This record gives sequence, C-alpha cells and structure tokens, in this order.
Amino acid sequence: MIARDRNWLLIFAVCAALAVLYPLFADGYQLTVIRDALIFGLFAASLDFFWGRTGILCFGHAAFFGIGGYIMALITLNDAIPFGSVLGIMGAVTGAAFVAAIIGYFLFFGGIRGSYFTIVTLAMGVICQQAAVSWSSVTGGDSGLIGIPPIEFDVGEIHIDLSQDLPSYVFVATIVAVVVLALWSISRGRWGTVLTAIQDNEVRAAALGHNAPLRLLVTFVLSAAIAGLAGALYVCMAGLVAPDLSGLLLSTEVIVWVAVGGRGTLLGPVLGAIFIQRAQQMISSFNPSLWPLLLGCVFVIIVFVLPDGILSIYARLKSLFKGRRRAQ
Amino acid sequence: MDFLITTLLNALTLISILMLVGLGLAISFGLMNVTNLAHGEFVTVGAFAVYFVQSIGGSFWLGLAAAPIAGAVVGCFLEFAIIRHLYSRPVSTVLATWGVSLILQQGLELIFGIGAKPVTPPIEGTFDLFFTVYPAYRLILIAIAMLTLLGVVLLISRTSFGLDIRTVIQNREMAEGVGINTRRTYAIAFTFGAAIAGLAGGLVAPLAIVLPQMGVNYLANAFFVVIVGGVGSIGGLVAGSVFVGGLTSVLNYQISPSLAQAIVLLAAIVAVRLRPNGLFNGASR
Repeated sequence: MIARDRNWLLIFAVCAALAVLYPLFADGYQLTVIRDALIFGLFAASLDFFWGRTGILCFGHAAFFGIGGYIMALITLNDAIPFGSVLGIMGAVTGAAFVAAIIGYFLFFGGIRGSYFTIVTLAMGVICQQAAVSWSSVTGGDSGLIGIPPIEFDVGEIHIDLSQDLPSYVFVATIVAVVVLALWSISRGRWGTVLTAIQDNEVRAAALGHNAPLRLLVTFVLSAAIAGLAGALYVCMAGLVAPDLSGLLLSTEVIVWVAVGGRGTLLGPVLGAIFIQRAQQMISSFNPSLWPLLLGCVFVIIVFVLPDGILSIYARLKSLFKGRRRAQ
Repeated sequence: MDFLITTLLNALTLISILMLVGLGLAISFGLMNVTNLAHGEFVTVGAFAVYFVQSIGGSFWLGLAAAPIAGAVVGCFLEFAIIRHLYSRPVSTVLATWGVSLILQQGLELIFGIGAKPVTPPIEGTFDLFFTVYPAYRLILIAIAMLTLLGVVLLISRTSFGLDIRTVIQNREMAEGVGINTRRTYAIAFTFGAAIAGLAGGLVAPLAIVLPQMGVNYLANAFFVVIVGGVGSIGGLVAGSVFVGGLTSVLNYQISPSLAQAIVLLAAIVAVRLRPNGLFNGASR
C-alpha cells in the first residue's frame, strides 16, 4: 500500500470516528445541521468523482441534484405508490443517471471536451431551473413542493423510520461514508488510472485500446446518479423541494466546495462542503446579500492563491520545510 | 402574411442581439480559447449604463453611447487583472471569470438596489411596413446591429489592426516573430468584444427586464451561437445566431419560453454531435 493511500485511509478513519462520536456531544438541532451538510458533501463528492478524475468541469451538476429531488418528491407525495421511500430513491438515482446518459452520449461521442462541455452543462443547469419554475402543474412552480415525508422502509422484520434526528443522521452518515469509500476505491484502481490517462492524452489512451468516450460517459452517469441520490436524501430531510435545488447558484457552490476542499481527493470536498456551509450560515445571518459577493471573491482567490485547495496548504508547508532542511 | 412577417422581424431582433453578444464571445472563446463566463455581465453593464444615464436625466442615445464604453471599461479591467494571467490554465479561467461575474452581479445589486430597472425606448409607437405594422424601436435596433456588424467586418478585413488580429489568430508564435505585440492585440480584441456586448446590452435594455442577473441568459445563448456556428468566421457567427435566435423565436409562439429554451438546447447539442466543427465550417477545427 503506497503512502498516499495510507494517508487517505487514515484521514478517512479520523473523519469517520469524529462522525461516530459527534452525536454524543451534539443536540438534535446540531445533528440535523451536520446531517444536511453531509448530504451536500455527498453531492460535492459526486462532482469531484467526475471533475477530479477527468479534468472536465461540469457546471450544471445541481441539475442532477434537483432532478433527483423532484423525482423523490413526486413519488413519495403520491399516495398510490407503495414503498414510496425506496422506490423514490431508486427513481431519483435512475432519473438523474438517465438524463446524464442522454446528454453525455451526445457530448462525449460528439468529441465535446473541456470548455465546450462546461458551457453546455451550464446551459443545462439554467434550463433545469427554468423548467422547475415554469412547469408548475408538476413541480409546484416557484414555491416548489412541500410536505415530503421522511424516509421509512423495512429491512426484514425491522421497520426503519427516519423522522427522528439521530436515526436520520446515522443513516446519512453511513451512506456518505460508504459512497465516498466506494468512489475512492474505484478512482484509485484501474478505472481511475485509465481516466487519468485519458485526461493526460486522450488520443494515446484511445490508441492503447481504451474506449475513451464510453469511460467518460459511464463516469459521468455514475457521478450524476450519486448527485441524484444526494438530492433525494436532501428533500426528504428538508421536507420540501424548490427550484433553487437545481439552480446555478448551487452548481456554483458545489464547485467551490470541491475546489476549496481539494479536487481529486473525494474526502476534501465533503469537508469543504461542511465548513463552507457553516461559514455561509454565519455570514448570511449577518447580511444575506453579502454571500454571493464573497463567493465570487473565493473563486478568484482559489484560482490565484490556492489552486489545489485548502488541504494543499499542508503539503506546501511540508515541502517548504523539506526545502529548508535540504538547504541547510 | 403579416403574422409571418412579424415572426420574421421578431426573430431578426433576437438574431441581431445574439450576433452582437456572440461576436465578443467568438473572439475570446473561439479565437483566444478563453472561456469567459463574465461575458454576460458586459451585456448587463451596458443595460445598466443606459438606465443610469436615463435616471440622471440624460437621453436614451447618450446612454446608448455610454453602454459600449461601460462594457469596454469592465472588459479591459477583467483582461488586465485576471484573464491575461491565466491563458495557459483554462479551468482556472472558468472559475475566476465566474467569480468576477458573481461579484459584478452582486455589486450592481448593492449599488442600484433589488428589482427590475425601467428603461424607456427613445421612440414609442409603430412603423408601417406596407405588410404589417411593427414597433419602430425594434427596427432601429436591427439597423444599428447590422451596421455594427458591417463595421466589424470592415475593421477586421480592411484595417491594419484587423490584419494583426487575423495574424495572431492564425499563428501566435509566428505573429510574435514578425513583431506583433500579441498581448496587446489580445487585450484590445477582448476589450473590443466587451464593448460590442455592452452595446448589445444598451440596445436590448428597453425590451428586456433590466436586472443584475440578466446576463446569464445571454451568456448561455451566446455560447450556443458560437458552438453551433463554429469558431473563426463571421459566417459561422451569423449561422449560429440564425439557428439559435430563429428557433427560439419560432418556438416561443407555440410553447412556453423555458420549454422553447430546453428544445433549443437539445437541438444545439444534437447539431454539435452531427457537425462538430460548426454548421458553417466544413474544415477541421
């Protein structure tokens, strides 16, 4: 096991331990805050899985989050459908994956990469939000849909009801941990290696026999499916779904979470999501219109000062000290 | 008959605006490979310039003259402060320009307050065109846009600065080798594109809802114009504008605007899949 993997697992274990110990010290409200932040962390990890490994930036990832959320809401609010929660989550994941598959097919097999892909996904996000606002007979328009029931399902004899704070926190934290671990093992294995090869030089990777468009497509679909899952979880916890969930601002915020946490680390984006949302709540309670302004500044600062995210400060300091030791 | 002509003129209005907004984008995105997500804000700034001049008692025409200047100032600053440092880092350019876009939007909201700003057109009433009557201001808009485009074509094909631009685009190293200051040429071309987008914003201000967030719709559509039309030629720009603008205005009659936008997006994606080099360009990218 190489040192980088060991370090990652170590940090993961520390985070997991903190997540397990947290309920001992936190009250119900604090639990729900962290729970919601973790869902957005899952969303950030889904973007990082695609962006971090392929180098292609998706600027409308909230579209998949929103699609997942709306599908979950529509299925669970319909009394005629049994097992609403389970079917809802399955529908949300499939729906987001389906949309990603269609768009991704045309783009990847059409040779669209880089900036072109970013632009098309940006427009996709804009249109999803507009559709959510204007298709009001289904989506509830501007005000969205309210009264979405909490998740409940049966595992064998046990009935699991996530209307309470602690069970829902445990459920979400478990899902986030499992998915992040799974994404990490995919991206460090052969799959990730080939993606890195495609990112470095797609023509060469294709010459070695790798079907580059297909690999990019499957990665994109997987990423969108997890974003859909995060959306589905979020609407059940929040109890409502609104057009903002598929909007440009959320697409933008998730990019910041990933960029601040460190692109390609999967764990960094989760932490980035938690910390930045904490900061957002503090700043917004002070003055709500200040947040987008600060967000804009954060973008510019990241690009010029911290291109590899907050976690890179540690690596930089380390190399700084190493360099000094060598110089002595 | 007159319904047909009205639809045609509506389409022409939208196409004119898209051509002007797309022109700057064709320069920065198509030719310099810079993905500038703050391009929509040039339109917003132009529209706000007209609003500002009108609100302090100036005429619409004075505002329209201020619009491209405002766009150029913002564009020049953006190029100088951010974009020129990031020519070799495309993803960073996307992030940084998006940051600037957010800052500009929120800055305008802080300065001018929340809510739509009223802009009155210089001419009320309609113009009789034998077949149909049509709002006079829209006809003026189309005429100004066409004249501007003609001016740009002449500038690029007939002046020595146009020659510099064409040289830099074809081969940057070679252009430097023969003594052209490529940095300066890029900066001027970028500022110029921003000014044209500002003019488009000023022109569209009486027709549109003037909001700090208005730029993003133009941004998405202008990118489609450039992507669908293919980069590198005025012909591609016109083809892309006709495709996006024409389809949008025809669909707007039948269905709701957002559904129309969604269909235009899908059509654009399919068009890109079928003709990766653009509708107009047969040659390689």
